[in-house]
Amino acid sequence: MSDAPATFRSATEETPRVRRLLIGSVLIVLALLLFAPLVTVFYEALRKGWWEAVSSLGDPESQAAIRLTLTVATIAVPLNAIFGIAAAWLITKYDFRGKAILLTLIDLPFSVSPVVVGLCVVLTFGANTWIGGLLTTAGYPVVFALPGIVLASMIVTFPFVARELIPVMVEQGRAEEEAALTLGASGWRTFRTVTLPNIRWALLYGVLLCNARAMGEFGAVAVVSGKIRGQTSTMPITIEMLYNEYLSVAAFTLAVVLAFLAFLTLGLKTLLEIRHADQLAATRRH
Amino acid sequence: MHIEIDEISKTFGTTAALAPVTLAIPSGALVALLGPSGSGKTTLLRILGGLEFPTSGRVLFDGSDATGLTVQQRRAGFVFQSYALFRHMTVFDNIAYGLNARPRANRPTKPEIARRVTRLLDLIQLPDIGARYPSQLSGGQRQRVALARALAIEPRMLLLDEPFGALDAKVRKELRQGLRDIHDTTGLTTVFVTHDQDEAMELADLVVVMSMGRIEQIGKPQDLRARPATPFVREFLGA
Amino acid sequence: MARPLLHRSPIPGLGISAGITITLLSLVVLLPIGALLLKGATAGPDRLWTEVNTPRIWAALWLSFRLSFLAATFNLIFGTALAWVLARYRFPGRRLIDAAVDLPFALPTAVAGIALTALYAPNGAFGALAKDLGFKIAYTPVGIFIALVFVGLPFVSRTVQPVIDEIEREVEEASATLGATRAQTFRHVILPMLAPAALTGFALALARAVGEYGSVIFIAGNLPMQTEIAPLLIVIKLEEFNYDGATAIGITMLMISFALLLFINAIQVWSRRRIGYV
Repeated sequence: MSDAPATFRSATEETPRVRRLLIGSVLIVLALLLFAPLVTVFYEALRKGWWEAVSSLGDPESQAAIRLTLTVATIAVPLNAIFGIAAAWLITKYDFRGKAILLTLIDLPFSVSPVVVGLCVVLTFGANTWIGGLLTTAGYPVVFALPGIVLASMIVTFPFVARELIPVMVEQGRAEEEAALTLGASGWRTFRTVTLPNIRWALLYGVLLCNARAMGEFGAVAVVSGKIRGQTSTMPITIEMLYNEYLSVAAFTLAVVLAFLAFLTLGLKTLLEIRHADQLAATRRH
Repeated sequence: MHIEIDEISKTFGTTAALAPVTLAIPSGALVALLGPSGSGKTTLLRILGGLEFPTSGRVLFDGSDATGLTVQQRRAGFVFQSYALFRHMTVFDNIAYGLNARPRANRPTKPEIARRVTRLLDLIQLPDIGARYPSQLSGGQRQRVALARALAIEPRMLLLDEPFGALDAKVRKELRQGLRDIHDTTGLTTVFVTHDQDEAMELADLVVVMSMGRIEQIGKPQDLRARPATPFVREFLGA
Repeated sequence: MARPLLHRSPIPGLGISAGITITLLSLVVLLPIGALLLKGATAGPDRLWTEVNTPRIWAALWLSFRLSFLAATFNLIFGTALAWVLARYRFPGRRLIDAAVDLPFALPTAVAGIALTALYAPNGAFGALAKDLGFKIAYTPVGIFIALVFVGLPFVSRTVQPVIDEIEREVEEASATLGATRAQTFRHVILPMLAPAALTGFALALARAVGEYGSVIFIAGNLPMQTEIAPLLIVIKLEEFNYDGATAIGITMLMISFALLLFINAIQVWSRRRIGYV
């Protein structure tokens, strides 16, 4: 009577040696490429000690940058969320020709360089354009001012919420909304009490990504903002300026703040993927 | 090739899928493992094919211990319940796969492979579909291609997991006859798993009735009908 | 019989959802891109060509494109291996690594930029090592390459992982029963199934890398003809108020983006037709 050899391996597994090799090399590359830069951010920020780092956040420039970044996000993200909900509703609840084109247009900002986005905004609303000139003389400049930064940030984060909502809403179908209607609910009530609860995790997920990108956007804002200290300098822009002036502690401390934002985003994202996988787009499920 | 199953058992974690079972399959027989889901029949089939390793016991092919053989070494043609055709390959490449995978020394030449594939396509009565992709085939056609693919490697035995499961009644009947014909033509020892007792009774030389990981009775179809050994067998076949 | 433009539907909200969608889409996407194209049209193709057709700009475009291509290729191979490890193996810290892979998506590009530069500059941890060995990383194309690998890291892995999850075990088992070794199974059965997703991820990583600014601008060195990237040139032209020049480069980059989008679409269509899924 023979016993199972200790080395039995199922037909769909690699040898332990191959497995260890793969895991090892993947981890090494990730350590070098991903974790090392992260560690560097913290190291450089704390190089001269806690106090130096924390007090650099109190500089009026850094303060203005933080305020501006928060303001931009507070305007851009909700607007993109509203767009995302509206577009997802339009695409998933109705049948019409041209959906593919619509989807492509919505996805367009994803494939365009942020600098090109900034350029487009300048060419649309710059002081020497028709619209831009009008608005500037009326006292509402777009370029080199808050509206321009908000617009640029909106463009680069435009697709995020829609892309998360559409697959989920397609999967969920129209039956529940139709049922609510037959029971006499108005459009708004149906949306509020039937649709919204079903999409809330996908919505949150999209908003998280949208927010992270909006706060961290650099290229488009660099072109549009004019980088006016204390006024149109968002956190990423300020980081650039501080870094170029060799004020590395201040620059990296701001970077640490944004890194924490990234961690928070990733943490919440993972939590959503674990807890509410069934209500997220299929490709999110682990 | 005759197969001996000697006190084979399988436990998954704490669940005993197969209590120790013993079974002798004569060479060239067409055998059905019949039982409801959870009876352990698929587990037993997979152990024969090397896809699962038994917790205890051994398997003998023509008298020699085959328990330690890898899947590749067993040369057991396996037809999966879902057919598991390679979606990105044509029917031709699917059937030729096993031949192409052989080490250079044992590999037939390309023209020879082509000849064998053509012969197999004729055997399954689908001579013209070589260039098609699995997604373009019907369920019955896919099943036959899976069969041809398994036969291409000149297997020592043929193992089929619920081969007619997902098909409609008319197609099932045709394929049943097809399997019988192929078995008679090739003379291969064939074991198939089914929960459909009509199928088992109609096709098999030998029926192994299983339930809850145990063999309830082994015998020729008419013997089982005439003399059911346990209440389970009587009920299962009487239904 | 043509399909109607819009089926009538009892579900309310068409007006408002269409209104919001079209308004914002126009304002945020159509208008700005339209302005770029309009500017290009008014300048005329000749003018645009004159602006673009300088050695400096070609050098920058070539640099951006070839380093992006190399980085995307690295990510294609590494990303597939990463996806396999995350999808199939269990090891301590797997969840953490899985979440960390998305870091380049979530981390602001400027933060990545200064971090990579600090690391690979001659006085940085890795840069000093390189200096001892006799070569430079930061301010050379190698540094740019590393930054581009960083930004493209998640793309291939994220598109391939779900496909790996969907591979039926039976197909791998079938390959083994037919006599193929694990390596053969990988090469002939598994990899082809991953190919469309991997290529899509490759194209996405490539598109992202070509247009990348923030992560690269610090480590690049920005020497004209040597380590100057295309997006930087747009910024320079704007600072010189050379709107035609900026437009010319912008439209060129837009065309590259379009080409990549078409390529991605073609993969999806081909894959759906050939093997019935993506």
